[in-house]
Amino acid sequence: MIDDPHQLSQAVSRRHFLRLAAVTGGGLALAVSLPSLAAPAEGAAPTPGTPPAPGVAPAGRSIRPPSAFLQIAENDEITVITPAVEMGQGGHTAMPMIILEELGGDWRRVTVKDAAAAAVYNNPLSGTQMTVGSFSVRGWYMDLRKVGAAAREMLVQAAALEWQVPTTECSAAQSVITHRPSGRTVSYGRVAARAATLDVPQQPVLKETASFALIGASPARLDVPAKVDGGACYGIDTVLPGMLYGAVKTCPSFGGKLKSFDAAAAAGVRGYHSTVALPDGVITLADKYWQARKALDKVTVDYDPGPLAALDSARVSALLRAGFDEPGVVARQDGDARAALAGAARVIEAVYEVPYLAHACMEPMNCTARVDAQGGEVWCSTQAPQAAQKAAAAVLNCPPERVTVHSTYLGGGFGRRGEADFVTQAVAAARAASRPVKLIWSREEDIQHDFYRPAAAIRFRAGLDAQGKLTALESNMVTASAPNFGPRPGAPLYTVGVVDTNYALPNFLVTGVNKDIGIRFGFWRSVSHSHNPFMLESFIDEVAHGVGQDPYRFRRALLQHPRGARQLKVLDLVAEKAGWERPPPGRHLGISAFEAYGSFIGTVVELSAVNKAITVHRVVTAVDCGVAVHPDNITAQLEGGMVYGLTAALRGEITIDKGAVMQSNFNNYPMLKLAEMPRFECHVVPSAQAPGGIGEPGTAPIAPALANAIFAATGTRARTLPLSKLDFTYAAVRTS
Amino acid sequence: MISIRVNGKQHEVDAEADTPLLWVLRDELNLTGTKFGCGIGLCGACTVLLDGAPMRTCVLTAAAAAGKSITTIEGLSKDRSHPVQQAWIAESVPQCGYCQSGMILTAVALLEKTPHPSDADIDAAMTNICRCGTYNRIRKAIHRAARA
Ligand code: FES
Ligand code: FES
Repeated sequence: MIDDPHQLSQAVSRRHFLRLAAVTGGGLALAVSLPSLAAPAEGAAPTPGTPPAPGVAPAGRSIRPPSAFLQIAENDEITVITPAVEMGQGGHTAMPMIILEELGGDWRRVTVKDAAAAAVYNNPLSGTQMTVGSFSVRGWYMDLRKVGAAAREMLVQAAALEWQVPTTECSAAQSVITHRPSGRTVSYGRVAARAATLDVPQQPVLKETASFALIGASPARLDVPAKVDGGACYGIDTVLPGMLYGAVKTCPSFGGKLKSFDAAAAAGVRGYHSTVALPDGVITLADKYWQARKALDKVTVDYDPGPLAALDSARVSALLRAGFDEPGVVARQDGDARAALAGAARVIEAVYEVPYLAHACMEPMNCTARVDAQGGEVWCSTQAPQAAQKAAAAVLNCPPERVTVHSTYLGGGFGRRGEADFVTQAVAAARAASRPVKLIWSREEDIQHDFYRPAAAIRFRAGLDAQGKLTALESNMVTASAPNFGPRPGAPLYTVGVVDTNYALPNFLVTGVNKDIGIRFGFWRSVSHSHNPFMLESFIDEVAHGVGQDPYRFRRALLQHPRGARQLKVLDLVAEKAGWERPPPGRHLGISAFEAYGSFIGTVVELSAVNKAITVHRVVTAVDCGVAVHPDNITAQLEGGMVYGLTAALRGEITIDKGAVMQSNFNNYPMLKLAEMPRFECHVVPSAQAPGGIGEPGTAPIAPALANAIFAATGTRARTLPLSKLDFTYAAVRTS
Repeated sequence: MISIRVNGKQHEVDAEADTPLLWVLRDELNLTGTKFGCGIGLCGACTVLLDGAPMRTCVLTAAAAAGKSITTIEGLSKDRSHPVQQAWIAESVPQCGYCQSGMILTAVALLEKTPHPSDADIDAAMTNICRCGTYNRIRKAIHRAARA
């Protein structure tokens, strides 16, 4: 093994690299992982917060070096280096499954390692090394299959060379190569060293989908055992010799700055080490975390509250609503919606609005950092190792390659851990103290200094002809996410979920206005789908009721075209499974269906209501996510996503006063609990299409389905969230 | 010096009397399976068993735990063989897993008191937060453990 990847020449060729690896790796074979050597994929490394452009795959790329993803030891242990981190979404199981399927490897011998920060791990679809956007499986599906297939061919070739037989007489499965005519066998581990000296086939032959053995089965998730015995190591569990613990507080109002601080009183706290000034706050360091927390309480801080000190939620809402008539950008224009609206027999108009939301990952933000003369190391739960690396390098004023990032399990990510603000802080503290530092945020700091799901609003206008047919739709969207997440081809990201609707709309206009309000914003599980399907699917429902049509059939009529086919199938399936035509007496149903992250999803909520007291009896979801790599995990993700979306729909709201967040912990930013879980049924459409995303789509359909069911039951249309603000109360029952 | 008994072993810990048991377990004894989630007793990530009862250790001083028997997730079994751990594996409960130590220990205490809990018993006992939404699988796993 090479100890210091920093010292390796970037000039080593990929082929050379494989050979080198076999030599230096000794018994370890099919190469060791040397990510800093790996060939950079097309596209620059991401800047934090830059969104991947969906659907843009870099062209003309050859196969990724198998050695960056796969090690096979002489004893047949298989190590998969996974480009997707594990935050509960199943990346540490899905990534190895895809490789092992084509490798013909023995699943029972697999262990998983997180990838270091390196361009070779940039997702083929997004171009970044970020585990975001439900990109992992759909981005890596083909590339990792090729990695596995190439490795299999190299292993078979090595065995054939050893036996002096044609490769065509050999087959491979379960980590064993068999020479069919003679019945001789050899395990992968025994030929791996030789295989590593061979050229990587650039066009390996892939399996037929029908012959998959692992993909489509649901092997036990590899991360589960460590998560039932306390052994799973999250960022917060990092321990370094001689480290200090850090606690942090920053200016409550966004854009505020530290003016001065007085740490004299902290000096009396046992174990206290020092106080580090940040641009917007302070970190106290001590021998133990609790000591650091106590010291922090004793540090008095004077802030310049910054430019947002007069901002409150009412003002945010007013700013959004003032944007409806601003010109904005035209995100989509089919036909002439305004003319069609002017000539329509009937126009229905409505305004929808949603508030800021916090992620509230169970594991509060944290980072452990060690700094030396050349660079440093960070240990953290991150969705974006390269962003963490860059953030640390920026503090240390060194090239990114001088920073090693150790990814751990994430105690929730949901988009929050695509940011690296906590890395910046920890590295600054470690440098100031010249000691390793583990910085842990309080829950209060976590809720009050998030990158929030932006507040957003849409004004819709629907034009209908005399027969009640939808002939025109205008959608004026205003969001608080400027400056935008980054340049992106096509329509602005915040319009996705409206702009790309599969409904046939001959006259369709989507405009977008993006306001720079100054509250930090970021990706929040399902991003623009966290609000747009709520708004559009509620409005479509509203229009259907407005013209006296059944909301399910009204949607069906809008999907009678080739591009609507997969969505239609999911819509039909969820309606059938939920018993749309015959709800039980006293029950009311609401439906929503749309495309998200390359998957098609539909949900029906069944509820009963006494005035504004809502009882949910059942949530039924159907999905077409293409090839279902791990069906059991798909169910888990859709259920977990539903809970995330339901929590937000019912109770989620970050409010602003004096430029600061008013919520602070789970007492005023409450979460749904076990007793509030509705029955959940999930139906996965069998499909051979390319895989779609699964971590995020499930978050989106619950809010509109719920709001539509509430309308069916009560006649009240919920056009803003959360529902608690509209005085709805919620309970769930599990008995049918 | 605080004297506490954790997973059957006595420890003398040099920590201030007001230090929450959570941080003593994590930072002094390196038992990091017990998690910090909220610090104010609302999420249950920091749950351990105190003489068999579930206790949120972020709001319990180590001094107050002296003389009691403390069980953390690491002390539940040596090999994940406790029926609740087995049920958790069989139902593939964890997602991110961060809440699960607290969930498992809370479930252990429930089953100790009520070997065959009803859904209502589970509702009442399992008040921890899981941000990943694994609740329905937790319910299934508790019923499974009760049958074991
Ligand atoms: S950390 Fe103790 S209850 Fe949340
Ligand atoms: S599994 Fe992630 S918080 Fe429960």
